[in-house]
Amino acid sequence: MAQLELLDVGHCYVPGEGEDRWALKPLTVTFEAGKTYALVGPSGCGKTTLLNILSGLVSPTRGRVLFDGADMTRRSTRERNIAQVFQFPVIYTSMTVYQNLAFPLECRNWDSRRIDAKVRTVAEALGLGDRLKEPARKLNADDKQLISLGRGLVRDDVAALLMDEPLTVIDPQLKFSLRRRIREISEQFRPTVIYVTHDQYEAMSFVEELLVMKDGQVMQQGTPEELFESPRSAYVGYFIGSPSMNFLDVTQDGSGVWLAGQRLAMSWQPPAARVPAEASGAGAAQAGVLQAGIRPEYVRLASAPGPNTFPARLQAVRDHGPLRVLHVEIGGQRLALKLAREAGVPHGDTLLVELPRAKVLPYVGGQLATVVAG
Amino acid sequence: MDGMRRYKSMFLLPGLLTLFIIIIFPLLFTIRVSFSGWNVSNPHMDFIGGANFVRMLADHRFWASILRLILLAGGTVLIEYVLGFALALMVWRNVRGQRVWRVLFLVPMMTTPVVMAAIWQTIFNESLGPVNDLLGRVGLPTVQWLTSTGPATVALMTVEIWQWTPFMFLLLLAGLLSLSKEPFMAAAIDGAGPVRTFFKVTFPLMAPVSVTALIIRLIEASKMSDSVYVLTSGGPGSSTETPGYYLYIRGLKEQQTGYAGSLSLTYLVLMIVTLTIVSRLLVRTLKTRTG
Repeated sequence: MAQLELLDVGHCYVPGEGEDRWALKPLTVTFEAGKTYALVGPSGCGKTTLLNILSGLVSPTRGRVLFDGADMTRRSTRERNIAQVFQFPVIYTSMTVYQNLAFPLECRNWDSRRIDAKVRTVAEALGLGDRLKEPARKLNADDKQLISLGRGLVRDDVAALLMDEPLTVIDPQLKFSLRRRIREISEQFRPTVIYVTHDQYEAMSFVEELLVMKDGQVMQQGTPEELFESPRSAYVGYFIGSPSMNFLDVTQDGSGVWLAGQRLAMSWQPPAARVPAEASGAGAAQAGVLQAGIRPEYVRLASAPGPNTFPARLQAVRDHGPLRVLHVEIGGQRLALKLAREAGVPHGDTLLVELPRAKVLPYVGGQLATVVAG
Repeated sequence: MDGMRRYKSMFLLPGLLTLFIIIIFPLLFTIRVSFSGWNVSNPHMDFIGGANFVRMLADHRFWASILRLILLAGGTVLIEYVLGFALALMVWRNVRGQRVWRVLFLVPMMTTPVVMAAIWQTIFNESLGPVNDLLGRVGLPTVQWLTSTGPATVALMTVEIWQWTPFMFLLLLAGLLSLSKEPFMAAAIDGAGPVRTFFKVTFPLMAPVSVTALIIRLIEASKMSDSVYVLTSGGPGSSTETPGYYLYIRGLKEQQTGYAGSLSLTYLVLMIVTLTIVSRLLVRTLKTRTG
């Protein structure tokens, strides 16, 4: 395992394109040795490009890639000693399961006894132990992906294990056990793992740090806890969590912050929001508008009026298994809240909801507001 | 229903008619002719039973040409495959002047075989040709390229290979370009070098295309005759004669229509059987090992 660093690394697939259109905008990131990271973000946000730059499949347009301080930017994939698992199963069709798993080790000239032992261990762990002699092409998609995964896992001396949405094609039952398996392996060998996924649960469930990406930029890097509790931007708030974070437009004057004609207390006092006189249209409004952000998990139903308690109209109830999600409206703005199943659906469509002060975060123009001194 | 069926078959008629005129009729006619003694002094469709076939069995020149064809076709196609694959691999990835190379490699295929064979004849000419000139300059003895058996075979194969390697190149390049990138990315990640990647990834993935290319070329090569005609006229003696060229001598030069009919029929049947077996074997050995 190694510490992976990207120094001012950017990439564009179309030569000569303006920097604002690059697939990956110049960024500097450090992936510490032995830690598990996830890259999350919508399709086309540059996750795979970042991964391929790390493994050497893509040569960055600018910047340097360092492994444990050594410059790897111009080194071949082979020299980087990286294991990478792709989104779709990639197997060597002319080989058996065993030969597929042994291939990365043969390429690195391990002796056959060591290969045999390692292949059997990994195959056993993946549940392919009794299918080693079968031609790999005869397996179904799930099992083929297990082989790709296995080829990534047989080498335990890799600098890092990169996984590009490896569980996308796996069926849900198996997904669960595989995820656990990957976590066990990462805990056992402590490789540096970088995991690309669409699925935030998959990410949250076993990584130490997440990088949320958008349009080729890293929006925020932090532990799952940090991203959940204090998303630095509305985008991260939307992306992490399901249903996503609530953002309510609020107004501010000399005496405080107001929501639906009532005073709203926030975690901290936002700096006085600029409301440009010419503010009109969504884009302009977004620039300086003050919003209150709160996770649906923290919104509570109240039985009596009190501070930060607002009357709301119930609009819909969605079943989320152990929880129910209530969609309500406060002064014309939508808000979601999570309710334990045993709490039951409230009667009537007029409710009181409480927004606990400690969990209400101020956002100005889509960014988490800074704490004003004093 | 009956009317409908008749109506539908009307549409098949033009195709069937063409097929009959250009394939079925000549074939049936050849079969009939092969049982006749039709020749230049007796131009009649009489019936002489299997006499032509009996004569053929003892015709060593014919059987020698068949055997020669198998060696020539097999040898040239194999070399074409290796060269074509090498060239295709060369311009497969991004190389400087990729487009120019790709077009340049195809030029020989676009040349008329007769013209090309004539040019090669000049190149191999024993006293005037550049090949012997070159050999002389480096101090090697000159070779009787077109008038001694071994060198004439080499010359013939050279011409065939020169003309048809581009075809192999074209098919194999198309095959390479259609391969998905992922297995190559995986091989790079797994640490395979270029040689290992070729034998373990590229070659197995190319098996279906390879089989197709080899079979198409073998079918084409089994008809080899025009280059023989121009380059050596089957000589020296009959040592570079192919069945196609031998048929031309018997049928068109000597006007032994009946006998030539029986020869061509046998040639056809032999080639169909051989090529079928060869393709089956190729498919089995190459295709079954891959998806």
